[in-house]
Amino acid sequence: MELLDKISRVLNEIFVWIAGFFLIVMILLTSANIFLRLVWMPVKGTFELMGFFGAIVTALALGYTQIKRGHIGIDILVNKFSAKAQRILNGANYLICMIFFSLAGWQVAKWATTLWQTGEVTETLRIIFYPFTYGVALGCIILSFVLLVDFLKMLIQKQEPHK
Amino acid sequence: MNLVLVGIIGIVILLLVLFFLGMPVGFAMAVVGFLGFCYVVSFKAALSMIGADLWFTFSKYGLTVIPLFVFMGYLAFSAGIAERLYNAAYKWMGHWPGGLAIATIGADELFAAICGSNTATAATMGAVALPQMKKYNYDTRLSSGTVVTGGTLGTVMPPSVVIIVIGLQTEQSIAKLFLGGILPAILLGILFVLTILIICRFNPEFGPPGPKTTFKEKIKSLSGVIEAITIFILVIGGLFIGLFTPTEAGAVGVFCTFIVAIATRRLTWNGLINSIKETLKISCMVFVLVTGAIIFGRFLAVTRITFIVADFAAALPVSPYVILAFILLIYLIGGCIMDALGFLVLTIPIFFPLGIALGFDPVWYSIILTMVTTLGAITPPVGVNIYVVKALAPEIAIGRIFKSVSFFLMACIVSIILLIIFPQIVLFIPEMLH
Repeated sequence: MELLDKISRVLNEIFVWIAGFFLIVMILLTSANIFLRLVWMPVKGTFELMGFFGAIVTALALGYTQIKRGHIGIDILVNKFSAKAQRILNGANYLICMIFFSLAGWQVAKWATTLWQTGEVTETLRIIFYPFTYGVALGCIILSFVLLVDFLKMLIQKQEPHK
Repeated sequence: MNLVLVGIIGIVILLLVLFFLGMPVGFAMAVVGFLGFCYVVSFKAALSMIGADLWFTFSKYGLTVIPLFVFMGYLAFSAGIAERLYNAAYKWMGHWPGGLAIATIGADELFAAICGSNTATAATMGAVALPQMKKYNYDTRLSSGTVVTGGTLGTVMPPSVVIIVIGLQTEQSIAKLFLGGILPAILLGILFVLTILIICRFNPEFGPPGPKTTFKEKIKSLSGVIEAITIFILVIGGLFIGLFTPTEAGAVGVFCTFIVAIATRRLTWNGLINSIKETLKISCMVFVLVTGAIIFGRFLAVTRITFIVADFAAALPVSPYVILAFILLIYLIGGCIMDALGFLVLTIPIFFPLGIALGFDPVWYSIILTMVTTLGAITPPVGVNIYVVKALAPEIAIGRIFKSVSFFLMACIVSIILLIIFPQIVLFIPEMLH
């Protein structure tokens, strides 16, 4: 379990650095586009690249945000339940979300494969963009993995009193 | 089964999942929206829908505005801009009765102009202002409430994450919404200052005057204000004259804030890394909320419940303002029981079409919703700003903070009433954009 947890943390730490890199690229690209537009001509394809970079920035931070409990929820009622009930409810919560994001990741990956096979390119730069779509799929799968680790931790926690 | 009934059951299940499982709002909306779509249309169509919605929402150019403005706020936080703003406001107003509290509101107003989050505004200003007010024996019933409620200016004054989310969800011009928030934020600030003056008039011991400063000190302190005002003018001014898109304005804001942070040598490597990580976390949370709301909105759209509710409310033989009062009451209660932004995203698919069907101006209605959403951040039991102040000053009892906030709640309510009576306060600047 500890190994899985460590893998999850290391993976998400790497992904958050990649996401941070793309965030900086977004700022530099937009600033360069504004400056060059004023003095010469705009950077071609900024609009579509920003969308793709934004997708990577967010998707690769999905797992990290879950680890840091950054997604907002309502715990006002759950906190009133017994510890055992809370564990069961949290477990159900993690399991449902894990299944959902696995399905979502699979669907986005399927979409990316279609884009790859049909040779779809962007309108302005005429470049392939399926790697970004695979990036979003990867983000969803990593989030599922984090949720799986959370679920397993919950199960182990539940068994502890019996040890 | 009747589709409207399916829609109602979907909403009930969503609430059950939110309250009984404690599932994050964005996840819950996506899961329930997906299951509802499965039931009404088909499993295959629902699968395709979530795949497409995730990719198209995440890669939408319009959404890239979020990480940029969030990063700008965190950079300003790490660069210590708030301290210099507070110092300037303190030099000019600190010697008045309640002057340090007024200075906090003034600095909040300016910091809100470069930071789009109420929590970040409250945390930043609290860290700077609370020790000062403690030093000059301010009563915590005044000081804590000032910091808690002053943070709400971060939500109303552009650039605001809440306004961006409303703009993206309702497909309105973010530039217009930003401009619509300027005068209401100034009005709210003025009403907070009036509240402080009234409190200190009746309880002078709550806010004893601070030491006087010389004219030279006052002028010197203005350098701390100029940088924030310059960034605000560049960002919002650029949007106003159509020089930038909102995303570009965000990038310009980040760039300028970064230059200020480097020039003042306040930004450390750790500060920068933390700013990036916090930005990614907040942006991801907002993206998930927006995507969840879109998926849930698709389910509601196939059940047609939103249109039916809007038509039903529009046909009611009562004034639209009675229905508006009812909507605002729901937001007030909703803000008390869950995170304000989450509640807003959850309810926009139903209440926005309803407001439009009632004939309200979309920009005005959005700002009214923003204002009432801000109350959720300062009302118990889940008012996030209250807990920010509690974390900064653990010695202040939570009950005392609640009491302190109650003084300022009236100012918030009065400002909403004024905006309803005088919609031009919101619409004056956006209409100049025409």
